[in-house]
Amino acid sequence: MLAQYATTLTFIALGAIFAYSFYAVLIAGQLSLGQAGFAALSAFAGAYLAPSPADVGDVPSLLIAVAIGMSVGALAAVVLGLPTMHLRGVFLAIATLGFAEAVRVVLTNQEWTGGAQGLGVPRVLTVGMAWLALGLVAYWFWRMGRSRYGRALAAIREDELAARAMGIDVGRHRLAAFVTAGAVAGLYGVLYAYYVRLIAPDDFDFTAAVEGLVTAVVGGSTMFLGPLLGSGFQTIVPEIQRAVGVEAGWIRPFLASLLLLVVILFLPGGLASLLPRRTRMPGTTGDQAGKRAGRTHPAAGETVVSLAGLGKEYGGVHAVRDVDLEVRAGEVVGLIGPNGAGKTTLVNMISGLVPPSTGTATVLGAAIGRTPVHRIAAAGVSRTFQHAKLFNRLSALENVLVGAHLVSRPTFLRRLLWLPSARRDERAALLQAAGCLERVGLADQAATRAEALSYGDQRRLEIARALASDPSLLILDEPAAGMNHVEAQRLSELITSLARDGLTILFIEHNVGMVLRTCTRVVVLNFGEVIASGAPGEIASDPAVIEAYLGSADEDPAGGSIAEGTLDDPASAERADTPPDAVANVRPGAAGDLEPPDTTPRNAT
Amino acid sequence: MQQLLNGIFIGSIYALFAIGFTLVFGILDRLNLAHPAVFAASAFVGIELVERGGLSLWAALPLVFVVGGVLGLLIERLAFRPLKGRADAHFAGLISSIALAGMLIALLQWRYGPDTRRFPPGSFPDTRFEVFGAQVTLVQVVILAVSLALMVGLTYMVTRTRLGRGMRAVAENPTAARVLGVDVDRVTAVTFAISSALGAVAGVLFAINVNTAQLGMGAAIELKGLAVIIVGGMGSLPGALIGGLLLGLAEVFAVQYIGSSWIDVIAFGLLFVILLLRPQGLLGARKVREV
Repeated sequence: MLAQYATTLTFIALGAIFAYSFYAVLIAGQLSLGQAGFAALSAFAGAYLAPSPADVGDVPSLLIAVAIGMSVGALAAVVLGLPTMHLRGVFLAIATLGFAEAVRVVLTNQEWTGGAQGLGVPRVLTVGMAWLALGLVAYWFWRMGRSRYGRALAAIREDELAARAMGIDVGRHRLAAFVTAGAVAGLYGVLYAYYVRLIAPDDFDFTAAVEGLVTAVVGGSTMFLGPLLGSGFQTIVPEIQRAVGVEAGWIRPFLASLLLLVVILFLPGGLASLLPRRTRMPGTTGDQAGKRAGRTHPAAGETVVSLAGLGKEYGGVHAVRDVDLEVRAGEVVGLIGPNGAGKTTLVNMISGLVPPSTGTATVLGAAIGRTPVHRIAAAGVSRTFQHAKLFNRLSALENVLVGAHLVSRPTFLRRLLWLPSARRDERAALLQAAGCLERVGLADQAATRAEALSYGDQRRLEIARALASDPSLLILDEPAAGMNHVEAQRLSELITSLARDGLTILFIEHNVGMVLRTCTRVVVLNFGEVIASGAPGEIASDPAVIEAYLGSADEDPAGGSIAEGTLDDPASAERADTPPDAVANVRPGAAGDLEPPDTTPRNAT
Repeated sequence: MQQLLNGIFIGSIYALFAIGFTLVFGILDRLNLAHPAVFAASAFVGIELVERGGLSLWAALPLVFVVGGVLGLLIERLAFRPLKGRADAHFAGLISSIALAGMLIALLQWRYGPDTRRFPPGSFPDTRFEVFGAQVTLVQVVILAVSLALMVGLTYMVTRTRLGRGMRAVAENPTAARVLGVDVDRVTAVTFAISSALGAVAGVLFAINVNTAQLGMGAAIELKGLAVIIVGGMGSLPGALIGGLLLGLAEVFAVQYIGSSWIDVIAFGLLFVILLLRPQGLLGARKVREV
């Protein structure tokens, strides 16, 4: 019975293992086609270098070959990954494809590989061994899914910039995912070699790479069972066609392609999306572990942010000019100013996303401009974005868990071994995340995908995510935008309560009334320069501020105090009365451009 | 000299194929992997038009152009439009176009069988010229002329016409283009149609050049097309032209001086170096993602 299907079953397992090598990078949002090259190198190296089964026995020979193959695959991935990890999307796919093709041609032209004729390898692999190997690979990815490492990869896939701001070292994580892909592809190469008896470089060509990718995507690239489902689908469809008597020739590939099209069009998450997915909520029972001491915060009054002559220029336009600012621990600083005044650019510099053109800045001991974003986050800066940058396809709770990246401990390796300490750490992180959600009033939405939340809830989820890292400095970029009065009022209360806990807060807001109510100090920017700074009361009656917001007094007699707080959109204040050097007003959207100049066009994932 | 000319002829076909590829990528930000299947299909259709329809080679070309355009519309409608607005549209578009390509190749196999096909004897005029001591056939001259004419026409259309303006607007920002009254769906469909029509003509010209059409010919040129658009710069039309000619020349000279088995290493070695040193390609502009 089993013997009859042994070949099919073995190929399902092999196909699935190869698909896992694509899955390994797809979960981090990387598209690579180099796996065929890793598999080819590993297959030939393993088969050539490992001792013959006749000398050492079947299983030892295979194991040695697997060890060689996985090392070769991982090593090749490091060598290829180091120079290519800055590439994104299709560019990475084509660069890695170029590598795979080069490997294939080189192997074809070598003596020891048998060239195009191929290399004879004894058949050692049995269906049982293949499925055991598949089981181990699947287990690896299963345990990875809900570890800190797995969540970090998912976060990078969903929004790389936000992941950086949460303190994730994106470069290292992407390389780690790539090396995993190399090792798994190496495993596939060796197992394949020890099954098919004769391997040729052409077994690992472009078509093979595309098939591996297709298998992974059809199965579903966000769930660990996906590659297995995909491989089952890809292998069984032709078998079924044969069994029911569909003639060979064109109909079989036609139907297989048609099915593939249907799956990809109508099952966005791949076949794995058909499986129910349970969302985990920490039980309310059990001890509320209490606040874990995450990090040491600066004592009240210590300097948190210190800017000296900070400026940013975009192609001759001064978005921010010569800003000196000191923020001390425990302060709630409101940053206001008309649209285009440079508020977001200033905040982007403070959080390390945009390097300053001039001046120096120190934030929590980190020098701005030379420190990568994730290090600044590690120093204790956490932020939200003007346009919510959530991890859209993750649940609200998972979003917050990613936010806790810096204050939770890595759990993946311990989860592989089922160590109880990993369970405890995960639970502690969950409780903390749930606590953050509760604090912003989203506890009942924990299982909802971030993209399905309402706009106001998304803003609050961003705050919860930022809070999860137990920051010393919290930066909020227009947190109340799009909120109604009731929601804005609640947000104001939340900020006040956070400040009471000793958190230093810097926030940009257009709702001037809210800023005046909430802040201990207000800084007003206009045309990239600080035009006023002081207690809310002084600011509300400062003539320079009133002029910036409402135009000069003689032109606009209605311009009284702005303290009523009804002024939601000061954009209308930018009118004909702007000074002649109005060029200083940044080009629209410039302040919002956070992306490092990478080569990926928009929407590339 | 002979090699140089041969390189230019084959290179102009690569360029024509790659321009179709890069047009869709540059404007719509999608890689259409059904493009090579259109390339293969049009070669078979071209042969059939000449063989059964009794048309001359030159009359078949415009018809193939139209067939390619129709295929392009089908590809857009079946493989890309349904994905609009999906978060994973990038991956999904790759896979759905691969699936459609598989269907197309299967249909070709049904209609024409798995064997290599050729133009009927006597389809080609034997006029030959001598240029700088090298032999050039009329067919080769026509290949070059058609390729160049199509590329010039395309460049004119993209830079000068209303439709081309719409395309560039969509490339810049689809939402803004829609707000400003550009019919984005129509521009998208037309872009696919033009892209596939160019790929189709490239397919026939390729079949004429080597006088064979095979089911696998699309897959064989696919990698080269990808290399060309990277080397030239994603989305850059002149880049694709230069990249195609470079590749054609490099191949011809590689065969002569290094050996045919190493051709692909040349192409991909070049590709790899360019990606590392200048990821945006020779003529590509860096696109910065908006937040």
